[in-house]
Amino acid sequence: MKETSKERVEQLVDVIMKKCLWQFHSRTWDREKQNENIILKTTQILCDEPVVKETPEEKCYWVDAVWLANAYKEKFPWVTEIDKEDLKQIMRELKERLDFLLITGSLNAELTDPLY
Amino acid sequence: MPYHLFKCSECIPERGKHAVIKGPGETLADALPLGYLNTIPGSISERGCAYCGAKHVIGTPMKDVIHMSHGPVGCTYDTWQTKRYLSDNDNFQLKYTYATDMKEKHIIFGAEKMLKQNIIEAFEAFPAIKRMTIYQTCASALIGDDINAVANKVMKEMPDVDIFVCNSPGFGGPSQSGGHHKINIAWINQKVGTVEPETTSEYMINYVGEYNIQGDQEVMQDYFKRMGIQVLSTFTGNGSYDDLRAMHRAHLNVLECARSAEYICNELRVRYGIPRLDIDGFGFEPLSSSLKKVAMFFGIEERAQAIIDEETARWKPELEWYKARLAGKKVCLWPGGSKLWHWANCIHEEMGVDVVSVYTKFGHQGDMEKGISRCEEGALAIDDPNELEGMEAMEMLEPDIIFTGKRPGEVAKKVRVPYLNAHAYHNGPWKGFEGWVRFARDVYNGIYSPIHKLSLLDISKDEIPVDRGFETQRMLSDVHLSEEIKNSTELREYTGGYDLLKGLKERVYPEFPPKANVALPAV
Repeated sequence: MKETSKERVEQLVDVIMKKCLWQFHSRTWDREKQNENIILKTTQILCDEPVVKETPEEKCYWVDAVWLANAYKEKFPWVTEIDKEDLKQIMRELKERLDFLLITGSLNAELTDPLY
Repeated sequence: MPYHLFKCSECIPERGKHAVIKGPGETLADALPLGYLNTIPGSISERGCAYCGAKHVIGTPMKDVIHMSHGPVGCTYDTWQTKRYLSDNDNFQLKYTYATDMKEKHIIFGAEKMLKQNIIEAFEAFPAIKRMTIYQTCASALIGDDINAVANKVMKEMPDVDIFVCNSPGFGGPSQSGGHHKINIAWINQKVGTVEPETTSEYMINYVGEYNIQGDQEVMQDYFKRMGIQVLSTFTGNGSYDDLRAMHRAHLNVLECARSAEYICNELRVRYGIPRLDIDGFGFEPLSSSLKKVAMFFGIEERAQAIIDEETARWKPELEWYKARLAGKKVCLWPGGSKLWHWANCIHEEMGVDVVSVYTKFGHQGDMEKGISRCEEGALAIDDPNELEGMEAMEMLEPDIIFTGKRPGEVAKKVRVPYLNAHAYHNGPWKGFEGWVRFARDVYNGIYSPIHKLSLLDISKDEIPVDRGFETQRMLSDVHLSEEIKNSTELREYTGGYDLLKGLKERVYPEFPPKANVALPAV
């Protein structure tokens, strides 16, 4: 049976939560940057679009994105089968879900600490 | 994910927000234990102090240094030859421990003169060592001794020495974690950027949050060297004081224990533009991913892949032997901080055990986010548990083994639950491919030791069977195994040696010609 878009997003979230560490940086501004850059680059890789990786910072986002894109392709055949625009939509929803779980809906009281 | 109040803590209702059970379909946004707060009066915590977190966890693994406590000699308890963060210079930092031995008279009249005398005496007693760290304690902080001024005076008088001062008294935080934070920031403020490194590779990393427990750092350094990557510094296990002054020249910070060392990575990123890559050095799959990511950053993926292929082929059949025998065993994963998330998923997937509980003594809510995310539904997550809560959890969950520190571990043994030392290990190192098999072997030996059954017999009243011999581990572990697994010619027990570090010391590393086409990350 074909999964709904929501179920697919949850599958993608589960891989990040179980296997990755980059989403758990300790401050809100860090998490926003990590989610933004790594999900953007993962989407570009999955959609065969060019990825900017000129600076050390971009390169670091890129290696996590490459790993994630490979994991998605390996675990979920639908990732390579669906239309690229549909995939982009799912990735946008993934980013929104991550932002909620890790930032806007997070119960972690340290996220708003002004210092490291 | 309902919050959980232990029966034994009903008289301390504030504890009700410090434990949750991971429920089906629930998320981190539904419930999260409180963390990194002062221990509630009446709750006998198992934490350490901020001085301990600064000195005994992070400062002292530095190998070529005199580590001096400025305070009562009791503050150095549990340091002399008891820690297991090894070093490749004959464990200098474990063999000697130093304290200024403050007494009542110093509290009244001050202890700065005595501190200066101690510093000079220590340098004279060990003339080959030219580096020192000094740690403030509660006593010297409360009387206001100016340790920095004394250290500066000595450095003027002895120009060949260098001294680092860490002002992290025991009361400087809710737990040892406060000390981790303080020493991270103190090191980057005082020392980073004061030495220029000798470079031997076009790829340079700082390996951060790694304390060389039973040789972990040496195992990981071996992989990096096989890839042609220079470990410019390790913060701090087996690390050299002057190497750590040159952290600002690395291309990448590879971060292992984010709980204790993310602060310095964050600051290095902000001040010097060096990115932070969080990795897992435990477990075949997480370690493989980590090595690949580091290599990918430098454009040398094929070197990582060669190591992964070789190590996996060598050690996977041995890991599988243990996995077959550990499947379904219940584990309480009760370490101090980072191992609850480093291990929660990979011990389940790669050793087959079920993590029924995670706890952290000094972790923050971020550690709980990671730990809860990585364990399965039904797990009980506890922040800063007291001893009675630990006992109640063991009665409730009936674990087959516990991974924790030696204090709660000894308590567990008294109720006949085996434990492994999650901080200092049993027969480590546990990092790396072979190390992970050694961990599996320790888990197996812990769970299936015949002593647990034997100890239930009371020779003063029970009938002791004399018609049969003792049961062995294999008799206990193989009783429910299929013949196919029992007789497998592919799976095998651990075949490595007693000391795996010996082989690493003898290894000759390949030389790689510079990759002219690869644009190095500029720093």
